Amino acid sequence: MRNRITTLTAALVLASASMVMAQQKPADSTGAAAAPSFGSIDVGLRVTSASGDEARYERYRDLRNGVNVNFNFGKETAESLFSVKGKNVGYQDQSYDAKYANGKFKVIGFWDSIPLNYSYQTVTPWVEGAQGAFTLDPASRTAVQNKTAVGILCAPGLPASSTCSNPTTAALALSYPSIYRGIARPFDLTQRRDTYGASVDFAATPDLAVNAGFQSIKKTGHQPWGASFAFNVANELPAPLDTRTNDFTVGAEWTNNQAMLRVAYDYSKFSNPIKSLTWDNAVRATDTNPYDASGYSNGNGPAMGRMALWPDNSMSVFTTQGLYRLPAHTTLNGSLSFTTNKQNDGLIPWTTNSAINNPTVWATFPGLKALPRTSAEAEVQGVNAVLNFTSRPSRYVTFSARYRYNDHQNKTPIFDAVEYVRFDAVPEETGGETEQFGIKRDTMDLSATLNLPSMSSLKLQYIFDNVVRTGRAFSDMTDRTFRTSYDLLGTQLFTIRALYDHTQRRGSGFSESAIEDGGAQPGLRFYDEADRTRNRATLLFMVTPMEKLDVDVSFSSGKDTYNGEGHDFGLLNNKNTAFTLAANYTASPKSVFGASYGRDSYNAFQQSANANPSCTLNVPPCVPGTYDSWTDPNRVWNLTNDEKVNNFDLYADLLKVESHTDVHFGYTYSSSDNAFVHGGPRIQALRTNAILTPGDTAPCAAGVSSCFIPLPSVTNTWQRFTADARIEATKKIGFGLTYWYEKLDISDFATIDTNGSVGFAAATGTPRIDYLGSLTTGYGNRPYKGNTFFARVFYLF
Amino acid sequence: MHSYCRTLIRGVALAGLVAAWLALAGTASAATQKPAPAKPVAVAADYAGQDTCLGCHEDKAAAIKAGPHARAFNPRTPAATSGCESCHGPGKAHAEAGGDKTKIQVISKLRPQAASELCTSCHDRKTHAFWAGSQHDSRNVGCTSCHSVHAPKGEKALLKAGSQSELCATCHRNIVNKQNRFNHMPVREGKMACSSCHNVHGSANLKLLKAGTTVDESCTSCHTEKRGPYLWEHAPVADSCVTCHDPHGSNNDRMLVAKQPFLCQRCHVTSRHPPTVYDGYLLQNSANGNKIYGRACVVCHQQIHGSNSPNGKAFLR
Repeated sequence: MRNRITTLTAALVLASASMVMAQQKPADSTGAAAAPSFGSIDVGLRVTSASGDEARYERYRDLRNGVNVNFNFGKETAESLFSVKGKNVGYQDQSYDAKYANGKFKVIGFWDSIPLNYSYQTVTPWVEGAQGAFTLDPASRTAVQNKTAVGILCAPGLPASSTCSNPTTAALALSYPSIYRGIARPFDLTQRRDTYGASVDFAATPDLAVNAGFQSIKKTGHQPWGASFAFNVANELPAPLDTRTNDFTVGAEWTNNQAMLRVAYDYSKFSNPIKSLTWDNAVRATDTNPYDASGYSNGNGPAMGRMALWPDNSMSVFTTQGLYRLPAHTTLNGSLSFTTNKQNDGLIPWTTNSAINNPTVWATFPGLKALPRTSAEAEVQGVNAVLNFTSRPSRYVTFSARYRYNDHQNKTPIFDAVEYVRFDAVPEETGGETEQFGIKRDTMDLSATLNLPSMSSLKLQYIFDNVVRTGRAFSDMTDRTFRTSYDLLGTQLFTIRALYDHTQRRGSGFSESAIEDGGAQPGLRFYDEADRTRNRATLLFMVTPMEKLDVDVSFSSGKDTYNGEGHDFGLLNNKNTAFTLAANYTASPKSVFGASYGRDSYNAFQQSANANPSCTLNVPPCVPGTYDSWTDPNRVWNLTNDEKVNNFDLYADLLKVESHTDVHFGYTYSSSDNAFVHGGPRIQALRTNAILTPGDTAPCAAGVSSCFIPLPSVTNTWQRFTADARIEATKKIGFGLTYWYEKLDISDFATIDTNGSVGFAAATGTPRIDYLGSLTTGYGNRPYKGNTFFARVFYLF
Repeated sequence: MHSYCRTLIRGVALAGLVAAWLALAGTASAATQKPAPAKPVAVAADYAGQDTCLGCHEDKAAAIKAGPHARAFNPRTPAATSGCESCHGPGKAHAEAGGDKTKIQVISKLRPQAASELCTSCHDRKTHAFWAGSQHDSRNVGCTSCHSVHAPKGEKALLKAGSQSELCATCHRNIVNKQNRFNHMPVREGKMACSSCHNVHGSANLKLLKAGTTVDESCTSCHTEKRGPYLWEHAPVADSCVTCHDPHGSNNDRMLVAKQPFLCQRCHVTSRHPPTVYDGYLLQNSANGNKIYGRACVVCHQQIHGSNSPNGKAFLR
């Protein structure tokens, strides 16, 4: 409240100041020097009522009840222009910008706030003392550790059988509420991004311009964050945010009729004073001592965890760009930049777990006595270039060639973490060394366009894109794309735009060990580097059958097929199609109506295998010579993700409906049905609870005939209705009335309400924070309904 | 070394193409360059003056005067040079012929590329420097496809529509519709627009992204906490954010292209818990349900964009 009033006062003072400045300037020829030459101010009242997930209704907005002020002032003379704007003055989503320009200078300043409201229904038993330090009630922790209370369902503690593995044990666990539920305190899970900055452009000469700019982005608040100790001790906390990014830029540009040359330097610094997150373990008051080698799995872990948060980093870029015009409508332009990214934050220790941080453990794991180095020493250097050549030697043909080069060189020294601590619970020798992912890309793009009669054109294009990577399964990957497009613009009646492209991606230098060393099935390929065939087509057709009516129809379709040799697992194909139909009818210059419909369809197919480690690796529990699930095709399963989205828009703009009244209506509808359908022999086996082969473990309790349960589709429907009326009482003064209505219906199995998983159980709209294997904040996807009403008075300058 | 040789060869090949083209263009130009007929050079006497233009075209005055082309304090604007005739060419013959349209440059009748050449004779610097040959230019989407000097509808940039979303939806409606998805950038709330990420006039980056020279550099220009570099990096993150995210909008949490855990299971096909069948049975009857609900995989693997912890191997810390 205080901030709002202070800001409102400041805004009004600023407005007054601009008016005073105008007064102090020499009078313009009309003698009206005291008043701004354009602008408006509107002051009104806003009232909001919402039910359900109110934070989701607001999301990136601040719709609280109260006075709402927007202003816009400006003055333009023969010598200069000045303007200042403010929106939603005093609220979390307020924004301001000011601009001054004359024949030599252009100065811009701005401040913009964007809230991100996650939830107003969240609760947490953790208490944040110092930033990033979360503690739990000691008595509750002791009770859980002593097995006299439930901490996390299915984790060590009550009930006696703390492992959830079938309906009976899960029902038992769910019947015992967590002790932390009773002490969890409600809080608003929100964050805000504030960006402010200024820039100045100076035209030193008609050909030479110099510019400098500064921008600062501050993020404050909290965001949902995972912080866990074991497979069955997963937690969600509100991680604190207090970061700042400062960006500086300075450049000079020389331009004449023939050429342009620009040099610039940009520097960006990200700072985060909260270097780590520490949080108490909800199931342990003391470190499990000695440590339990299965502690990462069964929850017998440390009393506290610690993780590193976002480190300070910097980026500096030196760029030069140029353009040169040649005869025959030919242009050559290009850019060359050198980038350095650095990060050298101090590293947090291996662990704070006293059961591991001692000479007894160091004797077995000497690498855990001290860190190999105390800071990250992370660095990436980049060289990026693009060169474009385009020419239209005659009106009938255009040629274009583009070459792009990107080199991302990772210079970070290897960090030896072969011995490491998993989940702060267990020291292990199964870690590894850090990997330096380097990427070098060069792309050649050639095209020729035939410019045909009736302003139509046929373009043929070939793109060769080669990527060399380090640290990946393929060392080299090449995309070859053939693309053709046709555009017809020259008729008054219709416009056609069509495009088709076909891409073949092929990798070389495949390393099977890169896959297998990570414990993956040898038939796995990572879809961002795997062999792939892509086909895409789009068609846009716009018709204007009469002057008042335009209709456009578009259709697009694309399919990726991952068809490389030996590619059996991972993403195997995806397909998407989109159809849109839109019409706009201008009944008169003062009344315009429009409607549009869009339907999108996404389909992806992936395959996996639910198997134990390969016997050939002699990894327990597989005993060489016995059943090897790793290679059993009956363990293969797949997933089809199929999503259908509908979008519908309506609008009506009625100007001067009652000679001085403008009215606008709008309606938007968007719905999604997102299905996840499992299939394959493994799923069939799970449905029948068949024992596949000796040694296979049935996932269900004996006697249960079918234990595979499909997941319900995730569905959502969002609707928004807006109405706005603006009435001019006089030439200067008027009134405005605005109404917004929004409704979201959503069913998402990943959201846990008091009844359980939504979609399996009816939604209650109230979170349950203690569910199987986790203690969360209750953040989820829930429905809402919202109404916001504005009434305002405006004054026009 | 091998890849450097290939790069060098491609660069030399491109330079050779350019040189050959220059030679051909020069030769063709020279070959076709007969002694030029005396082409009249526009002189001040050919210009009618803005007042003459507005005498007949009074309806064009209001929009022009309210826009940036009328700011005479900027020495590069039409107002500071030849007014209407800065763009439409000398108009004296047109005026004396009673408005003969063949004697004046009617920009709406020009091919998009020709109209764009006219505009970029002034708008050829800063954000417009890469226009020639850019994606829109090469598909005959010219300046006049999106901008209207005489009848703009938008508040800024003389757009032909009331907002960028409305304008861009003319051709990219299925992309613009994504702002209505459950998880989206704050475009429909008015806090961002298409131009927040894209420079539609041409850029040095992919996909007309305006910041940086790669997709990651563009995204991390705002999401700087993910810029790194980190001690432990996640390979797809180092490559491209759009491997996992849809920046225009998605019905999956955190604007992911697929819901967790299924997105992660597209790449993590190992033993033990990554390729476990996460179905309704586990969700309702097992502690492993925590891989399905809430934050799913990232309730444990929270540092998915990279970790600076010594124990960051699996992004757990």
